[in-house]
Amino acid sequence: MTSESFFKKIPPLILFIIFCLLITDYIFAANTQINIKIVGVCGNGVVESGEQCDAGGSNGACPATCSASCTTNSCGGGGGGGGGGGAPPPSVETKVIFEGRAYPKSAVTLLKDAQIAATTIAGTDANFQISISGLSGGNYIFSLYSEDREGWRSSLLTFPVSVTAGATTKVSGIFIAPTIAVDKSEVKRGDNIAIFGQSVPNSEITISVNSDEEFFNKIKADVGGVYLYNFDTSPLTIEQHFTKSKAALNGEISTFSKTISFLVGTKNVAAALPTKAPVKGDLNNDGRVNLVDFSIAAYWYKRPLSATFKPIEVERLNGDGKIDLVDFSIMAYYWTG
Amino acid sequence: MQKTKLQFKIQNFYFLVIVFSFAFFVFNFTEAEAAKLTLGSQIQEIAPGQQFQIDLLLDTENEEINAIEGKILFPEDLLELKEIRDGNSAINFWIEQPRLEKDGIIVFSGITPGGLYGEKELLFSTILQTKAEGNGTIEIRDVRALLNDGQGTSAKTTISNFQFSISKEVPGFEFQVPGFKDTDPPEEFKPEIAQNPEIFDGKWFLVFATQDKGSGIDYYEVQEKREYEIKSFDLKMVYPDPKSSWVRAESPYLLRDQELKSYISVKTVDKSGNERIVTLAPQNPISWHENYLIWLIIILVTIIIIITGAIGLYIRKKILWKGKIN
Repeated sequence: MTSESFFKKIPPLILFIIFCLLITDYIFAANTQINIKIVGVCGNGVVESGEQCDAGGSNGACPATCSASCTTNSCGGGGGGGGGGGAPPPSVETKVIFEGRAYPKSAVTLLKDAQIAATTIAGTDANFQISISGLSGGNYIFSLYSEDREGWRSSLLTFPVSVTAGATTKVSGIFIAPTIAVDKSEVKRGDNIAIFGQSVPNSEITISVNSDEEFFNKIKADVGGVYLYNFDTSPLTIEQHFTKSKAALNGEISTFSKTISFLVGTKNVAAALPTKAPVKGDLNNDGRVNLVDFSIAAYWYKRPLSATFKPIEVERLNGDGKIDLVDFSIMAYYWTG
Repeated sequence: MQKTKLQFKIQNFYFLVIVFSFAFFVFNFTEAEAAKLTLGSQIQEIAPGQQFQIDLLLDTENEEINAIEGKILFPEDLLELKEIRDGNSAINFWIEQPRLEKDGIIVFSGITPGGLYGEKELLFSTILQTKAEGNGTIEIRDVRALLNDGQGTSAKTTISNFQFSISKEVPGFEFQVPGFKDTDPPEEFKPEIAQNPEIFDGKWFLVFATQDKGSGIDYYEVQEKREYEIKSFDLKMVYPDPKSSWVRAESPYLLRDQELKSYISVKTVDKSGNERIVTLAPQNPISWHENYLIWLIIILVTIIIIITGAIGLYIRKKILWKGKIN
């Protein structure tokens, strides 16, 4: 087929649309779908999900049958007398419930406005649920991360939630990104490189290897959520490459994992496994990146660095000999709370 | 021949469609990588002496932004800054809390760990009052937004300034300060005691941060107080210390009691006056023999015993002496 007839048969607009769709799919895939809904308002007189009862304005302490938090009161028998006076208005609880998938039996940490608010352990099926209460109505930034069986930490999944006072807000569809590692820091072109990590049991893992051309490969995680893909480096050019992975199960899809790099060269060099401590940002060397590290950096913000702090800045921040917004951005990426 | 020309024209047309379509898409695709900062208000025409609110909003345009800094410039001959409100801000930690750096210039910089992703993320609000008639612009300057990529890569940024007109012909309205009904205390928080050789000469310091979803945090205060607690009696004896009053503080705060024997309380007060106090128990609680009050009590009791004994002996001697006489 000549190019002339090709243009005639496939109108360019269609070609353009196909091209756009191919790329926009990638953009949208970079963001997971999280569902946020208000599942119950204690005190509205309607028994909703998460409530044992709801008597509206009559909620309260005994002798009321329904408590202020919409649980059934156990008032017991006997006693009597008393009475009089008006019941105080019920104080309703503001609560957020988080549901999603992490890794089997993994520790899941919830950050509220970047500070640790709760932790839980996921089930063998990798499902978890965390709830926090005592909130005010307003906008919160929640983040979640998990640690797999090797103690490798996932990337931080962050999302804003507008919390309604006196209501229970349910955030579902959370899908924590897989962990990822490679067995070689440098791989001889044409040899295989093993890309592995952990996610949800039996989930479909998509592995992206970035080169001039981006390669997508799929593999199924085992019953323990572990995946391993041997990638043939024959089509890659001799240079630095990057890989990342994401997981999908039952129509739900995770965000991409952290991106890790490897070199395609002329020899094989074994890679160091991911460290449990954050690679960067941990200024006080306690294995965490949190408010203490932020405060240390804030202390040096726009000040000349001391001779002892300079090497720390080089090793754990961007190494330009000063503390500015870039260093805080690096810290924010590696944040653990 | 004419058919060939027509085909050539059609091909050229198709080629142009492809080029323009591609250019349009690439342009949009590039735009999608630019974070957009907007100054938004419900009104643009204002009466003199009128207060109004301007919100600084961030559209991350399909990117994750985890750090941002910039300036807001307003014409000081036309406007007066009454208040800056950062309650409900999408920024978790301010490196430089939004503040009036000098006349007509507000500076800010902050981070959100994990990155912000959204179309209308509120950074903060300013409440301004008009001074005189005229037209003007509130501008966003020197903006830097960084991607949540672990390297601090700069995102492309676009800005949308705010143009306004102050005129006597505009009917005034009663401006309601946002958050005036805020009755909730600031969010719960957990201060942390830390030590690092790189700051405060390796001395112990305190870090703390919280948010207030209504009116925003106004200030923090810290109190260090030595107390001896008798747990079995639920009794606290206060160590006499005239310096144990509340002092205004910012995080990181150098602790006065480097022996860490004090109860450390942090009070945070929002702009509506609601407060929350969090207290940390001492890491090295004082033992009973370090409490002067205990010694004072022991001395007092001892004196009482001695006096009582002396009186007893005196009375006994007197009785015996009376007996001998009789």
